[in-house]
Amino acid sequence: MTLAPAAPTAATDAPAFPVRGHTARLPWPFPDDLDAFRYSVNVEPARLVRRTAAGEWGATIVDLGGEEYGAIMAERRRILDADPHRVRIMPGMLPACWDLLLYYLRDLAASYPAIMRLDEDPRDPDRFRWRNAALGTDQTFVLGDATSLPWDPMTFLGREVPDDLLLVKERDGELCFDAGLVTFAAAWSVSFDVGMTMAEIHNPVPRLTREGITSRAEQFLRRLPVDQVYRRVNWTLSASGSRLLDVSLEELPAWAGDIPALVAAEDWGRLQLRIEVEHFIRLPMTGAVTFNIRTHMTSLEEIRQVPAWRDQLARVVLELPEDLAAYKGFLDYREPAMAWLTRR
Amino acid sequence: MSATLQPEAPVRYAAHQHAAYRTGPRLLRVAEVRALTTEVRHVVLVDPDGGHLAPYEPGAHVVLTTDPGGPGEKRNAYSLTDDGFNPRRYAISVLRREQGSAWVHGLAAGDLVEVEGPRSAFAPRHDQRHALLVAGGIGVTPVLSHARAIVRWGGSAEVLYSYRPGHAAHLDDLRALAEREDVTLHEATTVAATAALLADRLADQPLGTHAYACGPVPLLETYVDAARAAGWPEHRVHLERFTAPELDPGVPFTATLASTGERLAVPPGTSLLEALLATGRAVPNLCRQGVCGECEVPVRRGAVEHRDLVLSDAAKECGDRMLACVSRAARADDDIEVDL
Repeated sequence: MTLAPAAPTAATDAPAFPVRGHTARLPWPFPDDLDAFRYSVNVEPARLVRRTAAGEWGATIVDLGGEEYGAIMAERRRILDADPHRVRIMPGMLPACWDLLLYYLRDLAASYPAIMRLDEDPRDPDRFRWRNAALGTDQTFVLGDATSLPWDPMTFLGREVPDDLLLVKERDGELCFDAGLVTFAAAWSVSFDVGMTMAEIHNPVPRLTREGITSRAEQFLRRLPVDQVYRRVNWTLSASGSRLLDVSLEELPAWAGDIPALVAAEDWGRLQLRIEVEHFIRLPMTGAVTFNIRTHMTSLEEIRQVPAWRDQLARVVLELPEDLAAYKGFLDYREPAMAWLTRR
Repeated sequence: MSATLQPEAPVRYAAHQHAAYRTGPRLLRVAEVRALTTEVRHVVLVDPDGGHLAPYEPGAHVVLTTDPGGPGEKRNAYSLTDDGFNPRRYAISVLRREQGSAWVHGLAAGDLVEVEGPRSAFAPRHDQRHALLVAGGIGVTPVLSHARAIVRWGGSAEVLYSYRPGHAAHLDDLRALAEREDVTLHEATTVAATAALLADRLADQPLGTHAYACGPVPLLETYVDAARAAGWPEHRVHLERFTAPELDPGVPFTATLASTGERLAVPPGTSLLEALLATGRAVPNLCRQGVCGECEVPVRRGAVEHRDLVLSDAAKECGDRMLACVSRAARADDDIEVDL
């Protein structure tokens, strides 16, 4: 992934095919010239606009998801109400959660002025009023005062934005995942992972630790400057043959049968490419670093409509070494699935 | 991700959209100057437009450009004394020592000063269950910041302040904090009393305590020794130094840059940092004494003689990073490969 800024977009080439909103906004995870994927510390500055074969993405830190915003947030709130264990805040991390809340509300108000607003009380700089017209939120709160919000500050933010929220902080020279609100995990569990070091969390990923990527990624996060914001894109084929975002270990019984059924039926068009955009921000009051994850899904049926994506995904998936394909979960069915994708 | 890249048409994006996250060099206005002792002045800085200032971690400092454009132009780091929570002002307390601090003493309300930061280099552990805060002389400034943040977030602390009678900046502030049940203040005014107090208090702290000290070198040495004697693990004993010990010029060695394969000769008396800067590489740096940690560079290969005061023993042993301003190859004519 290149660090060069994208060109400012101009409405030039109209796509030769009809593109719906979802596809046009999709953060396609591969650079144009990529044919072989390996894990790397593929970070780039945030808020660069990237053009894709079907549209563009990346202008904002938070991607509300256009017309899908309401549905995503309804699902997020349903999960949070049903399962309080999706939020875990380790001792001493509440100040970092306030730091996170204020940063994001200020950023949202600047990114979406037509629907979101954060007012500061001129007489009391710690008193704020947050309004989100899209969800009908109107909340006054006092920064740092837990009694002024209906939930802890991380949960309050998590009910306003589609991103899974993760905070890492250094303890004894190790970066630790010490607070998180995660409803859309890809086969992991926030309540299991919280409190672990980055090395412990990433040990199961093949090649990551052995090839030194975990330690380089850690060094990147450890040295993340306060005056820059970075992002990274990650991808896999989803463990569910639907738009279901919550493929967490908590819900394993609900989705474990999906892919075997899909494979048995050879219903390849329902397979989903799962794209995760991560944002890294060093929060200044506490030094905590965000590892926030926004998850996007698109089906092979949709990808098939965009020839450049169709061909590139098939090349990348088929080229992937076995250990990585097994980790990503598609070693057993990648050949028939990609054959379906590229069949004329 | 797909992109039509046109490097000749760069678009600059501000990383942060809100003014409260600016930390780059900018002019702040002096709002207040007050003498705390005969040698210490308290200077309060505000945004000239009355706007937000970036929040900061307790123990953070700002870098002031003193005597800008003049013969004494210099960048000096000063600890902030407030808790760093949603600030509208930056307050520093400056001991008159050299040209730079003398220039700060000459400031008056209304003056504009170039300020960079805040930068965090002496932060509290977020999960500490209790803090032992040790201040010697003007080292009280970051300790006061820690104490104020602990009070704001409902923690508890024991403060140990060693000072010369009549020269104790912020003693009134600490005594006011100590009126609360969760803050205890111990005062010492002689070297012997300070050492005795350190030994006594370090031997009697609840489980989960982290200790922090800032002050002159002899006080920090006493503190580290007393902590070791009381059985404290290294990672719970934090300190911030004002000054670093003198270093010898060191051995000659070479450095290989992993990105280009270029080899740099680093003769005695020249630091790796200077050699890197001479090639035009922008390596962040500040103190150039192995104290601030700015110039840490990743190391791929080669044995390093660590001469800094920043990295933990474990990090030094691991050998995957070094501070380019003071650390060198372990043996003469060795090669170190840095990941730059």
